[in-house]
This record gives sequence, C-alpha cells and structure tokens, in this order.
Amino acid sequence: MEGKINKQLKKVLKKIVKEAHEPLAVADAKLGGVIKEKLNLSCIHSPVVNELMRGIRSQMDGLIPGVEPREMAAMCLGLAHSLSRYRLKFSADKVDTMIVQAISLLDDLDKELNNYIMRCREWYGWHFPELGKIISDNLTYCKCLQKVGDRKNYASAQLSELLPEEVEAEVKAAAEISMGTEVSEEDICNILHLCTQVIEISEYRTQLYEYLQNRMMAIAPNVTVMVGELVGARLIAHAGSLLNLAKHAASTVQILGAEKALFRALKSRRDTPKYGLIYHASLVGQTSPKHKGKISRMLAAKTVLAIRYDAFGEDSSSAMGVENRAKLEARLRAIEDRGIRKISGTGKALAKAEKYEHKSEVKTYDPSGDSTLPTCSKKRKIEQVDQEDEIIEKKAKKAKVKIKVEVEEKEEQEEEEEEEGVLVVEEQETSVKKKKKKDKKKHIKEEPLSEEEPCTSTAVPSPEKKKKKKKKKGNED
Amino acid sequence: MRVVTVEPHRHEGVFIYRGMEDALVTLNMVPGQSVYGERRVTVNEGGAKVEYRTWNPFRSKLAAAILGGVDQIHIKPKCKVLYLGAASGTTVSHVSDIIGPDGLVYAVEFSHRAGRDLVNVAKSRTNIIPVLEDARHPLKYRMLVGMVDVIFADVAQPDQSRILALNAHTFLRNGGHFLISIKANCIDSTASAEAVFASEVRKLQQENLKPQEQLTLEPYERDHAVVVGVYRPIRSSSKSRSSK
Repeated sequence: MEGKINKQLKKVLKKIVKEAHEPLAVADAKLGGVIKEKLNLSCIHSPVVNELMRGIRSQMDGLIPGVEPREMAAMCLGLAHSLSRYRLKFSADKVDTMIVQAISLLDDLDKELNNYIMRCREWYGWHFPELGKIISDNLTYCKCLQKVGDRKNYASAQLSELLPEEVEAEVKAAAEISMGTEVSEEDICNILHLCTQVIEISEYRTQLYEYLQNRMMAIAPNVTVMVGELVGARLIAHAGSLLNLAKHAASTVQILGAEKALFRALKSRRDTPKYGLIYHASLVGQTSPKHKGKISRMLAAKTVLAIRYDAFGEDSSSAMGVENRAKLEARLRAIEDRGIRKISGTGKALAKAEKYEHKSEVKTYDPSGDSTLPTCSKKRKIEQVDQEDEIIEKKAKKAKVKIKVEVEEKEEQEEEEEEEGVLVVEEQETSVKKKKKKDKKKHIKEEPLSEEEPCTSTAVPSPEKKKKKKKKKGNED
Repeated sequence: MRVVTVEPHRHEGVFIYRGMEDALVTLNMVPGQSVYGERRVTVNEGGAKVEYRTWNPFRSKLAAAILGGVDQIHIKPKCKVLYLGAASGTTVSHVSDIIGPDGLVYAVEFSHRAGRDLVNVAKSRTNIIPVLEDARHPLKYRMLVGMVDVIFADVAQPDQSRILALNAHTFLRNGGHFLISIKANCIDSTASAEAVFASEVRKLQQENLKPQEQLTLEPYERDHAVVVGVYRPIRSSSKSRSSK
C-alpha cells in the first residue's frame, strides 16, 4: 500500500511471473520500480496499462469466478473500515461508552444491593432479630449469616475474623436468648442463597469500581486529576460522551446535574443554583460553605480545559491536570485565609475572633412523659409557669435572694446532672420525700424546658460557679 | 389545515415534502436516526409509517443544485457513486438515501476530524464505504473502489479539475457522469467568477470530461457553480444522445 512489497505479493510474483517470463503491467509506477529492484522483473507502466486496468476493473465480477457481488461489497466495506480505523489510529482503549455504561451499572448495582440487603435483614430478622441491631455493617451481617445460618449454630461458630471479640460475645449471648421464631432447613437454605447473592454482588461492585477508575485514568486522565473518577464519570455520562461534554461551556459544566433547579429558578426569576454534579468533587467538599460557590466556579473553569485537552489532545498525560489542580488548591488556600482578614477597612487588620467559651449543651430525658399518673394538679401548673417566668426574667437581673437560691439550686442540679447523668437525677427524685423537695423536683422538670436558655447565655455559668461549690457541700450533707 | 404530503421529485429518489413549509427530503435509510440534527418527517403511506429526512440546501451543494433546477443529477437508486470531499458525511448520507441499499457510495475524505464523523455515519449505513485518503492519489485506494457510474466532486481545492480527471481515468466507467462544484474564490480569488468557471470547464474538456450543463447556486451560495457532464460518452447509433 505504501509502495512496499508485501510478502504474499513477493511469493505470488516469484511463483507465477518468473515462470511466465513476461513483463508485468503495473498501475502504480512507484510499486513497479520497487518490484524491478527487488525481483528483477521488467515492469510496464503506460496509458495502455491504465486502459487495461479500467477494463479489468469493469469486468471484475466476471473475471473472478465464485465471488458474488454482495461478498465483494462486504469485503470492500470491511477492508475500508479497517483501513480507516488504522488511519485514525483508533484505539479501543479510548472509547468513552465504557465509562457511561460502567457508571450506570454502578448506580443500578447500588440500588439492587440495597434492596437485597434490606430484604435479607428483614427475612433473617424473623429468626434472629437481635443480630440486625448488633451488626450495623451490611456486608459483615451477610458474611456472618452465611457462616452460621441457624441460630443454634452460633455457640459453636467461629466469627473471630469477621467481628471483634466483644461483638462476637454479644452475638453469641443474644443468640441464646433470642426471641425470633424457629425456621426450617429449607428456609435457612433460601436465606443463605440470598446472602451469597448479596456477597457476590458486593464483590462485583468493588471490582467494577476499580475497572471504572482504570478506564477513567486511561480515557480522561486530566479530568480524573481535577475532579476525581466518580464525578468525572458522572459528568461524561450526563453529557453522553466525552466529545459532547467538551462542547459545553464552563458555566454549563458548573451546573450540570442541577437542571431542574436551574430552570425553576430561571422561570421564577430567582437565584440559580451554584453547583450541580461538581458539588461532589473533593475540592468543593473541603471548603467552607461560604466559599463553595466560588470554588465550584473556578473548578468548573479549569475542568473544562482538562476535558477539552482529553477529548481533542493527542497525548494522554495528566501533567496539565496536575498543574491546574495545584493552582486551584493554592487559590483555595488564599481564599480561606482571606476570610479571616477583614474585608472592609484597610484589609490589613485581622478580624477579631471571639473568645472561646465552652457552651455546654446537655439534653436530658424529660420524665414527664413516663408516668400516667398526673404529676401535678392544674393549680400547680400555673405556679410552675409563674416560677418559670420568674426564673427566666430574674436570672438575667440576678436581683433577689429567693430567686438566687432557686437559681443556685438549679445550677447545682445542672452540675449534678452534667456529672452524674439522667438516671441519677431520677433516683434523686424518687428518694426525695419532703414537699419542699417536691418543689425541687418540679424545678428539675422545668429545667429541661428552660435549660436551653441558661445554656446559651454565656455569662450565667461563671459567676454562679462559686456559689455552686458552696451549695454543693451543703447538699451532700 | 393543509394536508401533509410527500411527493416524488422529478429526480428519482428525491422527494418534496409539502406541509407547513415545502422542503426537499430523502427517504431515511435508517429510520429514527438523524445524521446532523436535521428535521425528520414521518408520513403515513398506505398504512405504514415512512420517515424522510429534510435536506438543507444551505449546507449541501447537491440540494442547492436540485433546487436551482439542474436537469439531471444522474444519482439514482442502485447507482455506484464516488464522492470526493465527503467531509462529515452530511450530503453523503442523503446520497446514500437516494441510491438505496443496493447502491454504493465511496466517500473519500482526507481530514481525520471529519473522517471520524464519516466513519460513524458509515457504521449505520452499509452502503457508505469510508475512504480516508487523499483524493489526489487515487491509486492509494484503488483496492477499495470498483468502477463507478457517477463522480461527485466537492473538494474546494485549486487543482480540483486535475483531481477529478485522475479519479475519472481510474474509476469512472465509459459513459459515466460527473458533477463538480466549483468555488470561484478557491480557484482564483482575483479573477471574476464567470472567468474562473470558464477556465475550469476548459480544463475539464481537455481531459475528455465533456460538460453538459452549468448552473450557479444562487441564492444558497455565492460565486459557486455546479458543472454536470459525461465522461467518454458512448456513441450510440441513433442521432439523439441520451444522457443516462
């Protein structure tokens, strides 16, 4: 084809033509020259030859017996396609349909896996419900199930590779006193089948993810470096192909995936979304929420460059992606730092950060919902409400002694609650008999309601801590 | 409401769509697929749904020539066509529609970027044979192409007459026809369009390519002309020379 002699051609020429001792008519003059050099055959190239060629070409179907025109056409077509591919340097590695298919399959697998696992848990939960609560990881659950099967076998089973020791002990203990029903061999068999399926699908999913990573690195290395494999694959799948994705503008790539929000906002003339699929890129994930929009825009701008480089560029190195990513990371750091500096004013003054105060948030169990007996009559309730109001108002002022006492009591109990926990408070409640201390009880009940307020005001705990210590001593007596 | 119809054009294989607007259409060989985003129309014909693709004369010189009123395009069903300058395959797909599954169109295109699109088009249409070679050297693809009935040349090169002649000598049968689209700016941007067309025609005549008609592609293109002719006409015994 390129003016050189093929081995087969050489063979044919040697065999047939040398014996015939006649000059060879050649259509391509260059080829004729080469043949003459190598095989020492005399070649003719003239207009006469061309005419001959035309004649042969016209009568090709008739001259070669046994070959139907359809076959000839098919042969030509196949040959033409292979030659074109050779010309285009078509490499099967760079087909991006694989990526699109792989990522769709990954999503499908996840959905199916979730369904199967839920079903498995529910089904086996009839037999051994406690296992579901003890083991939260799905894969471990299935492996455990697969190993043991029926509840009776738990005592003798070796689960040390799957579970840490305490959990294993818990499981074995729960197996003894489980309240699930008995199930027959067949049922266990079926559950085990489902289990094996789940495990297989899980393993395949990890395999598929690795495959996807490899393909992404091979097809679009720069994009992989910039946004990661999953996000890159999703972008390509969303656009349809790498070439299609390359045709989009940077602003489009930024909000690819948020079309519903975009058009809704455009129709109602509100703010459009700031990020789409790009939100899940690691660079956007690691910034504070204030700067996510900015980073998403900058990342989209650099990513389209990477996309276009991968789609149309000749070499497949990721140097450009790495460079751009480094630039982006530097800019990200600059933005985060700048946030600490004051934006208004000279810009040289650092913004004042507030002093760190430990704000303890204690959420206690509200026991008022426990007992069905009425905890207090309506009269009392009104009193309570009044007291609550008083406490809230006057605590801020810190004026009267009576309230101070109440407040102090409250603080003590707060402290005690913090230290000892809810159960202890309840014990305190039950142990208290005097009416006076019943008031205290009510205070305790009120506290969960109004505790949010004392907790949030930062000034309150500090001055009363001193009084707490004194009163605590008194209480313990 | 106007009834939407598709009626055959004078040229075999080409149709006219009469609906809200009139359009030139060809029968889609691969129903459901659009090659370059063109509009497709589906019409009920005797119970079955038939799909046609609209042919844009602003993008295709052949469509512009047909709408300009060329006498004969010579591209018919079951024809073998050699198309030089196939680009991304937009007009080639329409030629493929016209010639049908029994015909063959050899699409020659040198650019790799356009060639990629061409190969994609050829994947779904088996009567297109993609050839990614330089049309200046027909010997380079002599093993792929048989003898053809029509050559359509839209290469936009200064030596396009020579290219056409070389290909005709190698591949065009006796009595075969050719269509060449001449862009005056491409050949010689200083001379006037008519002068350029005349000189091109003379060059063709020297190579045994006898021109039969010439028409300009106004209003679709500026300073473009299409020349239709015959190669090595077969002298028939009867006086009237029928152009096939």
